[in-house]
Amino acid sequence: MGPGVALKIFRRLTASALVLALLAGCGSEKQEGSPLGQAVGAVAKTAVGAIAARRAARSGTAPAAPAQVTRADLEAYDMPILRAVIAARGADAFVTITDQKGSVVTWSTTDGTTFTLRDGVLIQTRGLGPDLMSAKAPVVQQLLTNGGTHQRVYYFLGADDRSTTRTYDCTVAVVGSETIQVMGKSHATTHVTETCARAQGSITNEFWIEGKMIRKSRQLASGGAGFIDFERIVD
Amino acid sequence: MLHSSIRLVATLAVGTILGAGLAHGPAMAEMTRSLNINGTTGIIDMPSGDAQNDAAFTFSVAHVGPMTRSTISFQFSERLSASFRFNTWREWNELFPLDDAKQFDRSIDLRYQILQESQYLPALTIGLIDLAGQGLTSSEYVAATKTFGDRLKVTAGLGWGRLGTQGSIGQPFGPRPPLSSDDYGIPHTDQWFRGDAAPFAGVEFKLNDRWTFKGEYSSDAYLLEDDERGLIDVRSPFNFGFEYQKGPNARYGIYSMYGSEVGLVFHLVLDPKNRATGGVMGAAPVAVDARPSRAADPEAYDGGWVTQPDAGPLLTKNLAKRLAVDGIAIEDFAYTATTVQVRIRNNRIDAGAQAIGRTARALSHVMPASVEVFEIVPVVNGVGVSKVTIRRSDLEELEFAADNAALLRDRVTFSDAGPVPGNALGDDGLYPKFRWSLKPALRMLEPLKGDIGGRLSASYDLAPGLVLSGSIYGRLLGNTDDATGPSSSVLPHVRSDGGLYATNGDLALERLTMAWFSRPGENLYGRVTVGYLERMHAGVSGELLWKPVESRLALGVELNYSKQRNTDGMFGFDEYDYDIVTGHLSAYYDFGDGYLGQLDVGRYLAGDVGATLSIDRVFVNGWRVGAFATITDVSAADFGEGGFDKGIRFSVPLNWALGNQSKNAFGATLRPSGGDGGARLDVDGRLYDSIREYHTGSFDPEWGRVWR
Repeated sequence: MGPGVALKIFRRLTASALVLALLAGCGSEKQEGSPLGQAVGAVAKTAVGAIAARRAARSGTAPAAPAQVTRADLEAYDMPILRAVIAARGADAFVTITDQKGSVVTWSTTDGTTFTLRDGVLIQTRGLGPDLMSAKAPVVQQLLTNGGTHQRVYYFLGADDRSTTRTYDCTVAVVGSETIQVMGKSHATTHVTETCARAQGSITNEFWIEGKMIRKSRQLASGGAGFIDFERIVD
Repeated sequence: MLHSSIRLVATLAVGTILGAGLAHGPAMAEMTRSLNINGTTGIIDMPSGDAQNDAAFTFSVAHVGPMTRSTISFQFSERLSASFRFNTWREWNELFPLDDAKQFDRSIDLRYQILQESQYLPALTIGLIDLAGQGLTSSEYVAATKTFGDRLKVTAGLGWGRLGTQGSIGQPFGPRPPLSSDDYGIPHTDQWFRGDAAPFAGVEFKLNDRWTFKGEYSSDAYLLEDDERGLIDVRSPFNFGFEYQKGPNARYGIYSMYGSEVGLVFHLVLDPKNRATGGVMGAAPVAVDARPSRAADPEAYDGGWVTQPDAGPLLTKNLAKRLAVDGIAIEDFAYTATTVQVRIRNNRIDAGAQAIGRTARALSHVMPASVEVFEIVPVVNGVGVSKVTIRRSDLEELEFAADNAALLRDRVTFSDAGPVPGNALGDDGLYPKFRWSLKPALRMLEPLKGDIGGRLSASYDLAPGLVLSGSIYGRLLGNTDDATGPSSSVLPHVRSDGGLYATNGDLALERLTMAWFSRPGENLYGRVTVGYLERMHAGVSGELLWKPVESRLALGVELNYSKQRNTDGMFGFDEYDYDIVTGHLSAYYDFGDGYLGQLDVGRYLAGDVGATLSIDRVFVNGWRVGAFATITDVSAADFGEGGFDKGIRFSVPLNWALGNQSKNAFGATLRPSGGDGGARLDVDGRLYDSIREYHTGSFDPEWGRVWR
């Protein structure tokens, strides 16, 4: 009876989530109680998202892009727009600038996830769960130097809520000139890879640099969130 | 039916954990450190030399014929683990019709891995099963386990006690003295490793990432169940079966046992170190607002604004609006042209460091440029518990720096909260304030046993540090054994009539108290609580604690006078004519790495004198698992079945499963047996636990979240 009952219960994730919401109870402090309910919703969404992503992976089709938005629609906002795709999450979002300090720009989704890039190089994320809290990262000039080496250090806040440091030795390789399409517009870029190694393994970030500007990139956010594909759609 | 209802609630949080865990189930490369039907590391019924991953918290339920075992185990350190088990034997009266139909037993195990597995040497573990109970399952063992390749594990061991009853090879350490009922509850040291010893062995073979085959030769002849009680029929010492791993958290097993029974087991394996969601969720903070440079805009740095009469209210209003987003309220606010002190109540964020960071960010937006020093004072129960001083220029400089958490930590100072500044403007609508809530509540007495009901709580915050509060608990349903009369304890029944309290007060006033929290001096904290302190006792409780913000050591003294309440949960005292003065001296020490120790010496509720030692392991995300033991001058016989008071306790923050920001938790204290010796008042708001969250012992491990 024990395992049987338990099995049924575990299958009924949604039901338990619902009861959990009830468990939050009621009272005068609405503001304090509500996040539990929101979180239940968030968990449900995450689970659904993950399932959709898995199905997509199995069937070989990519997760659907956000509803048919055209470049004209985005340009109509008359503000810089970046696209961020997190494959591991099945997430795809157009993000806008919420803070700019010199070369450091923070982009935000509507639901409060932020990506902070220094000249297009990712240095922080917030709201992903496993977040990149800070980073020692190269500048664009370094990424354009074929064979150049540098140290890269990631500071993550992971599942254990503690800061984790990962130090890599990286080498830049200029792959060559490539003309890429970013949402229907072509850009002449230099394709660059940054291969970063440490004893436990290596990762590769990729950049497509147009002049001095990173037009498109694929950069590691954290162990839990994986890589993020960025495309600068509207300047 | 009642049984399942309880289980449903107990596994609720867990169901959601699993759901969240589904999102990222890593493939398992190495062989599972598996568990047996006793919920401890092992094969099927036998133990093995393995250990679980550090900090693994497991919950197991096993059914073998008429026997059910539910176990909670915790890998307290890499080598040491402890288990709490609840055994049920049904059909206990099979051969003795006058006996109860069911027999229950609660037991505690300890196991220590002497040797960790290496290339040539096996893992070696020494263990004690049911080390201080009635001895129904008492046994000791030494087990060695070696992994061959990445699929096969072989275990061999030697057992004593129950584990020495099948195929004995003699008595290497002499005969095993019998256990008298006086020994119940006390560690059976003179029995350990005595009597017949018998070898056992087993194999685990991983078929693929999900399925494992297990087989073993058991050295337990089940004399109690077979020969004495006729519950099962042991035909063979060989057990075998399969286990199925579902995701990182769940494991199921089905076995053929002793040639006559089918064994079923379910294990829930939780990792308190790591959040199910991979990291704490919740929206990003607002960016730090950068001031113009002094050279570019010297006028912005003019402090003349402090003379404006409406500056204070305006700043408070703007700050409150920003802080409300994160569930932070302003308890007090004071400023000069260069310094601001804000006293905050953190209602939601589970990490103090994150609440500090969010407050600093909000201040950077609100305060005029001339204000360079941010003093943030977290307030708990109306009193300041520490002062975190951050320079605004450091905040601006380090926002995007590599390793910004460590760099900021070096530049921040922690100190005593100190008194409220003379120029403080007061709170933002927090006093007086009435709050109430109605929540479902679960009282768990042991694994799978407890009751559920509703709790109506209300509090009235009269002034900072002064709060009138109360709660009423109504029981809806449960499977706790209904007591029919008072306990047979020879001590004053300060705790042992718990069953009567539960049955006679289906709807009961749990607490109704006036509490006063104060700061009598630097590093000193005070509490006085008057009223219906807990379900069974009412009176006065006073406490004084010394705890410097950066100290590992804290010292406290508590003095109480209490009268025992009636069982009906109302206001009277005539049922028991019992009152007593109790008190303790306490020392608290933070050993680092999340290990906290506490020693209390003093007089307990039944008038007994003694000491309590407790060790807790706390995790950055709020998980807490601990064990405690109390020895007093009450003799083991007078104490009753348990011999002395001991148990384990745990608390699981719901946000660990959900990843959100909330301070709700789910927890329980489990005792193998209840007695009247070593009992303390269960008064709300004890000082050490309320303030520790905002001292460096707690801030430092979670400091990375200051920028979250």
